[in-house]
Amino acid sequence: MNALARSPGADPFASRLPVTLITGFLGSGKTTLLARLLVHPGMRNAAVVINEYGDVPLDHELVAASSEQMTLLANGCLCCTLRTDLQETLRELFVKRRAGEVIDFDRVFVETTGLADPIPVLHTLQTDGLLGAQYRLNGVVTVVDAVNGMGTLDAQPEAVKQAAVADRIVVSKTDLAPPAAVERLIERLRAMNGYAQLATAVQGEVDPAWLASIAPARAAAGEEELERWLPRAAAARRAAGEPGALTGGLRAVGGTHDARIDSFCLWFDRPFTWERLNAALQTLAALRGPDLLRMKGIVHVEGEPAPQVIQGAQHVFHPPVALAAGQRTDPRSRIVFIVRDIPRASIESLFAAVCSL
Amino acid sequence: MSPTPTATLAGPGARADRALSLNMKLLAHHSLEGFGGMGEGMAMQRALDGRRILWMAHEAAPKNFTAVDVTEPRAPKMVVQAELPHARVRSNSLDVVGDTMVVAYQTQSVGDKPAGFDIFDISTPETPKLIAHFDRSGPHSRGVHAVWFVDGEYVHMASGAPDFEPTHPNDDQFYQIVDVRNPSKPAEAGRWWLPGTRRDDGAAPPKRLDPKFDVGFRAHNTNVFPERPDRAYVGYIDGGAVILDIADKANPKLVANWRYSPPFNGFCHTVLPLFDRGLLIVSDECVQDDGRDWPKMVWVVDARDETNLVPVATFPSPPHATFAHRGGRFGAHNLHENLPVPASFRSDRLIVGTWFNAGVRAYDVSNPFQPQEVAYYVPAAPAMAPTGAVQLNDVYVDDRRIVYTVDRHVGGLYVLEMSV
Repeated sequence: MNALARSPGADPFASRLPVTLITGFLGSGKTTLLARLLVHPGMRNAAVVINEYGDVPLDHELVAASSEQMTLLANGCLCCTLRTDLQETLRELFVKRRAGEVIDFDRVFVETTGLADPIPVLHTLQTDGLLGAQYRLNGVVTVVDAVNGMGTLDAQPEAVKQAAVADRIVVSKTDLAPPAAVERLIERLRAMNGYAQLATAVQGEVDPAWLASIAPARAAAGEEELERWLPRAAAARRAAGEPGALTGGLRAVGGTHDARIDSFCLWFDRPFTWERLNAALQTLAALRGPDLLRMKGIVHVEGEPAPQVIQGAQHVFHPPVALAAGQRTDPRSRIVFIVRDIPRASIESLFAAVCSL
Repeated sequence: MSPTPTATLAGPGARADRALSLNMKLLAHHSLEGFGGMGEGMAMQRALDGRRILWMAHEAAPKNFTAVDVTEPRAPKMVVQAELPHARVRSNSLDVVGDTMVVAYQTQSVGDKPAGFDIFDISTPETPKLIAHFDRSGPHSRGVHAVWFVDGEYVHMASGAPDFEPTHPNDDQFYQIVDVRNPSKPAEAGRWWLPGTRRDDGAAPPKRLDPKFDVGFRAHNTNVFPERPDRAYVGYIDGGAVILDIADKANPKLVANWRYSPPFNGFCHTVLPLFDRGLLIVSDECVQDDGRDWPKMVWVVDARDETNLVPVATFPSPPHATFAHRGGRFGAHNLHENLPVPASFRSDRLIVGTWFNAGVRAYDVSNPFQPQEVAYYVPAAPAMAPTGAVQLNDVYVDDRRIVYTVDRHVGGLYVLEMSV
């Protein structure tokens, strides 16, 4: 049989329903954010998976029809409480969608419990082959409340983890906290995770597109679209100089948990080979898996006509997904690491060593 | 949370008046001026002025064919709609090469006319000009059901013939090759019929299917591709999938016949080869309402050894519980056939087909053992739909991945964008 490289197949991005995780500590404003998001006309066909109908009703007025686990909101959205686990819920949702038992939802928002460690949820999407055929991770949105956020970050390692793995950070309730405190919180979050885009919100009001379009939505994504998911430079507040430079003095604002967390981007001028890329990532995962909180990259690999999107968390990596050839993208490879207690220099030298062999 | 099973919502699938979609978006709908009952002939012309003209055969009289300008897929514009000479004939099938179109004619009863095909010059799409009529009428012939015309030289077709008397009246249409290199004088170049289906051909007639499902041992789609000009891939209805050696067009020879009915319920429709992969995609046609001839499927057949065809998978079916009783037919039918012409989408990994009331569906066959459904669109029941549901009959995908699909009764043309 000949190679099929030229025969058009399914677009690995566009053919999967985007799943966005919304995390944040209890009372941080996740539900308020969701409720505001869902009334936007573009979100009419969203499905929402929540853990329980919480203290803040998603929107009591919106409830039009309800079964025990699934509620159709008046604006057409589907709201679904988590059954035994997320895997089962997402599978069931897709089966019901195929059977026409629920709306043709075009995206899913999963609201995690406040205490949840988001990484196992990422693993669910990365390791369940059936889910992987229908869904793709759009991104992690973490809500941090401006009033209590500092205290929560000090006291709760899970809160730190939630902010560390985020693609988007929403600082909520900024109208209720002194501006200087908001500023300090933002600096602290950026020091920890400089590659997340950050916005402030009052009453959950943020640009829906900013939350709904994080990861590339099609293989033919150009650099502008990729930049939304994997910015080439860390947020402006970080130290000047090379993209991803260490944050230096900003560390001082961090608490005990987040002082151990760092995010940086490594750049590679020459394409990898699959063997070298695998060797480097596997070594890192094997030796420091628990501390590799999140990794995402756009890499060039010898023999591949287009860049590959890679991502992982701790010891679990998503299978690489090829972008379409012929798009204008940065000719260099870049990988963002969000790590705990792993010096940037160690990862740099690991890659340097592996790539020199 | 209660551990008891929960009732399902009365979702959109429970109602034929709601559309369903996955990775396909409706760009436009054209009712074709109220004559929206379309057959299984769809072809795209790239006109001299650059326009994309979609030609479609009607399922039944009074209309013959309709052309729609789909250059801008969001704003399809009708270009021409042609009449049939009378109500006892249907066109059903057509194909286009360059500025030449071939249109089939099948009469309701044997002996009637026109039974054969027409060749038109469509260089000015607004005014098709008849070049020739090829007559296949005869005392036992209803004429042509389906044509395949992709090289500008030969028409491959399922048709009766003036000199052909079938053993059983259902077996009247067989495989014929017609030389149209001189389009004003078409001439038969060769023919093949399933042994035993022509009276006194010396072979024993094939064992008929259960009368509930007996629709005949006759040819349906007769596909020949430039990759293998010496092979014809023929859906032979109750006779299964047939591969013929047509290196000598005057004497086609049987290479393989994969016959799977019974136990299945007949009507092999299309045999689509994926040459580089050694696969055939074989579709059935559902011909009974309300799930009575279920299951009608799309099969993946290993053809690496073309003399030993081995089925390895079927496409995952749309949910039976949702569609079987939704109205009209529910099951497989036409596939987009990777036409070897410039405007056609061609893929040996993505296969698009129509499923009557379950809409149009796209499958990824990258893994031949586990085909995946990756997209679908089920239009809401068109107004005045006699079965109460849509009945998508045929599909054509262009090289922009725009999907054109037609309803069998009233709905006309649906233009969809596929995001896979």
